[in-house]
Amino acid sequence: MAELHIIGQIVGASGFPQSSLFCKWGVHTGGAWRLLSGLKEGQTQVDLPQTGDMAYWSHPIDLHYATKGLQGWPKLHLQVWHQDSFGRCQLYGYGFCHVPSSPGHHRMSCATWRPLGSWQEQLAQMFVGGGPQLRNPDLIYSGADRYRLHTEAMGTVELELGVIMRHFDKYGVES
Amino acid sequence: MASSGDIREKLRKKRQALQETLAKSKNEDDVQEPEGSEEDPGETLKRTIRAQRQRKKKKLLEQTLVQESHDNDDVEEISTIQRDGAEEGSAEKADHSVISLRSQTGSQKGLSSRAQQTPSSQPQSLDDFVKRRLEERLRAARSKGESLQQQEASLEPASRLQGLRDRDTVTRFDREVDPDRSGRHDASPALSTRVKFREAARRVGKGLPNAEEAYNFFTFNFEPDPPDESERSSVKRQKQRKIADRDEGRGDEAEEQEEAEADEDNEEEHENQSEEAPLVQNEEEDLFVIDQSPQDFLEVKKAVYVGYQNLIQRENEQLFTPSFRTVPTSVKLPENMKPRYLEDEGLYVGERPHVSLTNENILENRILKMEEGKKWFGDDGRIMALPDPIKESSTRPPLFHMEEDVDPSLQTVYRKALKSKYANLYIAGAADPEGDYQLDVDVSGLIFSHHPLFSREHVLGARLAQLYDQYLTRQHNNLTGHLTDKLNGLRSALRNMLEIHGGQSLTQAMQQRFSEYSLEIRTTRQLRDSEQEKDRTLLKNIVKVWKELKALREFQKFSNTPYKLYLRRENVDRASDEREHEDEILAEVVEFEAESEEDYQKKLTEYNKQLEEWKLWRRKQKAKKKKKKKKKKGQTHEDTEDEEQEASESEGPIEEGPPKPEPPERPDFDSIEQQVREKASRIRRKPGEAILIPELSASGNITASELCPRPEIARRQDVARRSLFIKILYNDKEVSRTDSRSLNTDFRVHFGQIFNLKIVHCPQSINLQVFEEIGSSCSLLARVFVPVPEPSVVTGNVPVEEYEFSSNQRVMFDHEGVGSDVPLSFEADGSNKQTLLTSGKLSCCVSWGIGEDDVPLAPPVSQQPGGIHSGLDRLDAVTYIGASGLYDMKKIGEWATQSRLDPNDPKNASIMQLLKVASSGEVTAPEYFRLEHLQEEFNFVTDEELERSKRFRLLRLRNREVAEFRNYKCVPALEREVTDKVFQEYEKRLKEGEIIDTKEHLDSHRALVAKYLQKIRESVINRFLLAKHHYVLSDLVIEEEIPSIGILGLNLFKLAEPKRPLKPQRKERKKVTAQNLSDGDIKLLINIIRAFDIPIRRPQSNKPGQAPQSAIQGSDWFLNQVQVRPFVEVSFQRTVLQTTTADGPNPCWNEELQLPFSAPNGDYSNASLQSVKDEVFINMFDEVVHETGVNDKDRGKSIHTWVEKHWLGSVKIPFSTIYSQSRIDGTFKVNTPAVLLGYSKERSHGANGGYDIMRSLSEGTFITLFITMEPQLVPGETIREKFDSQEDEHLLQASERFEREAAQGYPDRPCITTVIDLNGKTVFITRFIRPLNPPQEFLDAFPNNPQEATALVARFVSLIPSLPDRVSFSGACDLWSTCDQFLTLLAGDEEEHAVLLCNYFLSMDKKAWLIIGTAIPEGPTTYVLTYEQSRYLIWNPSSGQYYGQYDTFCPLQTIGCLVNADNVWFNVQEYTTPMRLSFDITKANLWKPFFSRSFSHPGLSSVQPEELVYRRTDKAAAAELQDRIEKILKEKVMEWRPRHPTRWNRYCTTTLKQFLPKLEMSRGQDVTEGHRHELQSLLGENRISGFPLHLPFCEIRPIIEAVYSTGVHSVQVSNVEFALAVYVHPYPNNVLSVWVYLASLVRT
Repeated sequence: MAELHIIGQIVGASGFPQSSLFCKWGVHTGGAWRLLSGLKEGQTQVDLPQTGDMAYWSHPIDLHYATKGLQGWPKLHLQVWHQDSFGRCQLYGYGFCHVPSSPGHHRMSCATWRPLGSWQEQLAQMFVGGGPQLRNPDLIYSGADRYRLHTEAMGTVELELGVIMRHFDKYGVES
Repeated sequence: MASSGDIREKLRKKRQALQETLAKSKNEDDVQEPEGSEEDPGETLKRTIRAQRQRKKKKLLEQTLVQESHDNDDVEEISTIQRDGAEEGSAEKADHSVISLRSQTGSQKGLSSRAQQTPSSQPQSLDDFVKRRLEERLRAARSKGESLQQQEASLEPASRLQGLRDRDTVTRFDREVDPDRSGRHDASPALSTRVKFREAARRVGKGLPNAEEAYNFFTFNFEPDPPDESERSSVKRQKQRKIADRDEGRGDEAEEQEEAEADEDNEEEHENQSEEAPLVQNEEEDLFVIDQSPQDFLEVKKAVYVGYQNLIQRENEQLFTPSFRTVPTSVKLPENMKPRYLEDEGLYVGERPHVSLTNENILENRILKMEEGKKWFGDDGRIMALPDPIKESSTRPPLFHMEEDVDPSLQTVYRKALKSKYANLYIAGAADPEGDYQLDVDVSGLIFSHHPLFSREHVLGARLAQLYDQYLTRQHNNLTGHLTDKLNGLRSALRNMLEIHGGQSLTQAMQQRFSEYSLEIRTTRQLRDSEQEKDRTLLKNIVKVWKELKALREFQKFSNTPYKLYLRRENVDRASDEREHEDEILAEVVEFEAESEEDYQKKLTEYNKQLEEWKLWRRKQKAKKKKKKKKKKGQTHEDTEDEEQEASESEGPIEEGPPKPEPPERPDFDSIEQQVREKASRIRRKPGEAILIPELSASGNITASELCPRPEIARRQDVARRSLFIKILYNDKEVSRTDSRSLNTDFRVHFGQIFNLKIVHCPQSINLQVFEEIGSSCSLLARVFVPVPEPSVVTGNVPVEEYEFSSNQRVMFDHEGVGSDVPLSFEADGSNKQTLLTSGKLSCCVSWGIGEDDVPLAPPVSQQPGGIHSGLDRLDAVTYIGASGLYDMKKIGEWATQSRLDPNDPKNASIMQLLKVASSGEVTAPEYFRLEHLQEEFNFVTDEELERSKRFRLLRLRNREVAEFRNYKCVPALEREVTDKVFQEYEKRLKEGEIIDTKEHLDSHRALVAKYLQKIRESVINRFLLAKHHYVLSDLVIEEEIPSIGILGLNLFKLAEPKRPLKPQRKERKKVTAQNLSDGDIKLLINIIRAFDIPIRRPQSNKPGQAPQSAIQGSDWFLNQVQVRPFVEVSFQRTVLQTTTADGPNPCWNEELQLPFSAPNGDYSNASLQSVKDEVFINMFDEVVHETGVNDKDRGKSIHTWVEKHWLGSVKIPFSTIYSQSRIDGTFKVNTPAVLLGYSKERSHGANGGYDIMRSLSEGTFITLFITMEPQLVPGETIREKFDSQEDEHLLQASERFEREAAQGYPDRPCITTVIDLNGKTVFITRFIRPLNPPQEFLDAFPNNPQEATALVARFVSLIPSLPDRVSFSGACDLWSTCDQFLTLLAGDEEEHAVLLCNYFLSMDKKAWLIIGTAIPEGPTTYVLTYEQSRYLIWNPSSGQYYGQYDTFCPLQTIGCLVNADNVWFNVQEYTTPMRLSFDITKANLWKPFFSRSFSHPGLSSVQPEELVYRRTDKAAAAELQDRIEKILKEKVMEWRPRHPTRWNRYCTTTLKQFLPKLEMSRGQDVTEGHRHELQSLLGENRISGFPLHLPFCEIRPIIEAVYSTGVHSVQVSNVEFALAVYVHPYPNNVLSVWVYLASLVRT
């Protein structure tokens, strides 16, 4: 009955072709994990940085899990979206990262990618926005045959997570 | 040198000179200072300290500036390779040791002799040097004369600089071998010229320069000269030569000067070994005194070119080029070692990556030259290398046909850039409430399996068709065949086993298997038998029905149905068939025998065991009996009967003991065969009999109508008249309907229509309603619920499905139609009746639409909670290889041999292992499938344990915001600290969900209602939960409003206003959002200003017979002078505060009371605050002081006084009102009891106040209050959710527009046109108004006094308890219930009361309207306006009071709208108070109508029922309730007086009890006088104070509260007695009026 607290924030994102970004996030866990409190998915505000490239969200994450096994350690999946000047939203990147498995404070950066699509789609994307999205967003964190996808590297999302573990040592997991 | 460069140089020099002259003065000061120091020792000390400090600073600066100075230095030089120098210099700085080495090599090679020009600096000597320099400077100053000193000082910095440079060149010259150096001796003249120049500059300071000087100034080249220590003479010579060459006009002075300088240089250079430091020092001085531009240190030089050959040569010196020849192996290996080839020794060596031989050779050669070069070589003499990691073939399959065959989960969708409305959905899975989705509903047709219009033949035909269908499906599935095959297979397996192990004794495992097989055979056989039987009966039935049908046709002489059944015979070979049959039977018999034998054996053993037991028991029993008998004999034998009885009793248990087991019957093998044969004949066709295959066709003829008898013709006509259509309801809302199609004679209807539903809301239900149309009327036949399809179900790939439906409508016909739900018999004697219901099959399909680009327009699958699928599966080896791989060991083995796997390759280890295992024995693949394998093995704890954890449960419940745990602040960190108590309440609530607690409510109906309300509340809250998550910007961002130009102008205007310090300015209070509050932060401020017309005390019964002599009487007489001494007590949440006591009936307190507020569970969220049910009780008391003078003889007279408080009246204001209003300000009518014993209203007390006019207008006591909260809380807003509506879209739009315009024009006037009903649907408000009958008994009560009846009706309405929606729905919304709902619920808001009252009035033929307005203290509320006898009356529906239009004390403050059944009028007049309004609604300029000529009333039907049905309330129940209330109240009063005995005066109680019904009759009016007299005559001896309380009944708690708040129980006098009487008057529909008469009596 080990417990895991994840407290932190999605600091922001940088390196995207345009700023004015927001992020949808979620935490995925295996069946052994049970959410005791906190929200396991959410969406940040849209940040339009006036200076610099980095969009700051400082979106809090506060989760408390109980687990009966190590399998399915929580992983965080992210979707970065861009809101253009017309108020339309389009996908800018998918990314995921594991929640650190050692206690303490962690700074992480999660690289993101997005599907490229055919040249027609790319052309359309250039002029009218939008873009290819995964039909099945589970693919972000499940390792299906992703090599078939043509993707494009996008920016990175900065995260700061504090991890507190409890009673893991009772079950022989040294932290 | 007259190039442009020269000119530039000259210009530079000029600048320099200017700077120097400027610097001179500073230098002078510099020198002067040390001079002064000689005189004053103190000064010296100071100076040295300063010098030291300066030194230190310089040292520091040096470190940083060294590089810079170096560069500057180089720049000043003549050298052509200044860059080199600079570079070298910097390099030197970096590393001293390198310098030495480099200089060495440099000299060797003769390269860049300039490299040495900058000698290494010695920082450590720097300090010394500076000191010395200072000393030296002092010395020089001393030795020279005054004038000379001056000159010297001015020169010194420059000369020092010079010295440095000289030093530089010294080293350079030392090693100078470059011949072209010699040609550049212009440096020395430059020195002289510079000196000269300085002189000139100095002179400039004195006077104007002459022409020659001017010329020199501009033309000379100021270059640092390179004099040398050792070659001083030559330098001198050179110098002189140069001077002679160049400048003859220079005087001796200059020469002398030079000499002196040279000397000095000399001197300096001796000391000055570290040349850098002083340079920096000086430069720094110069630099920091005056800013020198970088140009002063720069010089433009030619590009340096080194010839190619030179370059090559130089490079050759430095570079090493390894040869590309093969290195012999012996060199690469250690001495005396032979190369060793691992591969030959059988070890696995991977394939080396390919490197070209040349490259390898070069690499080897290079490595060998390196230190420890040999360690890079392996034993075989080759460079060590890992096996080639590159695979020959690409492991990534090529990406052909990208678009076509990508895994569907990998497919990407091109999505247009979305407007944020749709985009703000959560990630992955969270089902979104809205989306752009399309549902296709394909309604293809309908087949009736029974219809009322079926004729008998149809019924049979339908049955036949049904049976045939069944037959076909059975035939298709062919279960019998499958089972037979299986049986045969099992039998043969068993036989084989027996054959193999025939004679041998069976092993344990084999025996096990054997028994398993036989068991399997048994079950399979049974299954097969039952299936065969079914087949057989089905066939029989088909034939039977067909026969019936034929008989019927013949009987009625016409046919209605086209069905025809053929039976096809399939002949079989008789002999083989018989044989098979026999075999089968034989096999069965054998099996049966075996089985029964086995059974028998089993039973036999069991029997033996039981027999044994039984015998044992028997023996015991016998022994017992004997004992007993012995005992019996010892006893008296008088009563034999008794003994017999006993005996029988004792026998009883014997019989109860285990019965004697019956020995099992030996199975009769003969009968077995008989049985089997019987069964076979029953369920199987006889051997040799042909196989019958029925075939149903619809090819028969239907007799034409003309040939049919009359009733049949009528039936057919009826059929033709009917048509059907289907309505499609999505989420219980009709969205579409099919065309209506006429019913055919075969009762099949084909629609073939597809409806594309564009949906916004989540699909909850899809419902198809089948309607039958006869002429113009249509009736609902049946409903078909179609499941919502999975998101993967997409149009085009779904087959049409059939959904059965049926209806239990009863239909009968007088023609041939058999009707529905009517018993029907086919037998001649009418027996065997059947009842057929209308039923049928609807074939339709529902699927998700496909967009233009093949995107399914379906909402995403919602993610499973807890995330059941995880990526883990892929880590498992078994799945990784693939499940089939495990079974196909052979294949793997084959492949392994084919590909000749290297068994030593570690990469193949796992496969090798696998193969080994496979060949050694069998690998058992698990028979089960596990979603998350290996999960179990690694689990820390089990699920149950996790569930058991109380702490986790607590945390999760808190997270779910379960009411009990929502504000649970601290969850303990340890499991054991969580007590079970925490959950008790919660579990109790869960358990009691369904049980109705009558104790709380005293009345079962109310209890039910409470439950019902609770349920509604829950559902409403659930409905709003989602809506609550829709935020708009203003919810999250608080933005100070930007002042508009108007306000700005106003403020500017205010600036000009004269200051008036005495005029207080209103300060805007800051609003606080509720979330960051905690207990004690909120205070309720209640300002009690004044009251008027308080009842005054009556003089106590001044009976003539009594002499007013006693002390009490005396004091009474005295106190009688005081009319009344009122004070106000405010109680809220059990905090009680009171004002001071004032005097007289019109007191003025003007006091502020602060009451703390604490929210339930410490939850200060909006929702929680809104649902606070607490009320503020404002009670008015009279303080009565009694004095008991006690004459104490010894100590003189002492007077004891005690203070009593007598309740006069109360006002109660719900907290929710204060919260929603944020402040309440006004004069309220005090709720005074109908009778107040001992008090009376002062009426004719002179004309001492302006209140008299008001008093005459309105009776009662009034209190002026101001209530607010500190800090001000922001009340929650109602939900902006748009609700479903069945109203017309136009109407909704119009109402929205109307409300918007109203809000814009008159923001403070409430305007409502649409409301939400209990089902959460938007309904137009006028639909609620409809004349409804009040209970008839009210109208009958006063047949000729409509006034009274009206009052009675109003009273009835006011007696229905009021429950604000805000409270019950935690502020979610304002729901309107219809009158019947309201009367059922018996609880509602003001609007329900108002609607009911208005409807009653309308039915009583009054003109009545609903007023939407604001009142105090309710805030936005609903009143009723009536027009009678040419005046307008305003009714408060919750109190039953009415007010004239011009009544000052009318609580209604603002009127926004008037509503009646036809229209809504919005108040567009200047004023809003009723007094100043005109109620003439016909004038459009005063009242803006909603429906006007341009938008006429569409004829909205009412949502109210046509008539209200009233239940008579049970009188007995009321009486019972009355007793219970009385009992509870008495208990409570005693409970509140824990320290005093509470005595009840029975006599008084009965008197009061008699009086209460009268009060109810008169509705508490105009009985005071008579009542008092009556009482007083009865209780003359007692001082009595008391009053009746009147309440509508809803719960017991408010009654207790009300009694408590009067404070009657708090009388502390010892001889006090109490009287309490309760009366409950029942009104229709369980509306109860409760009277509580409370009195305290003090015996005088």
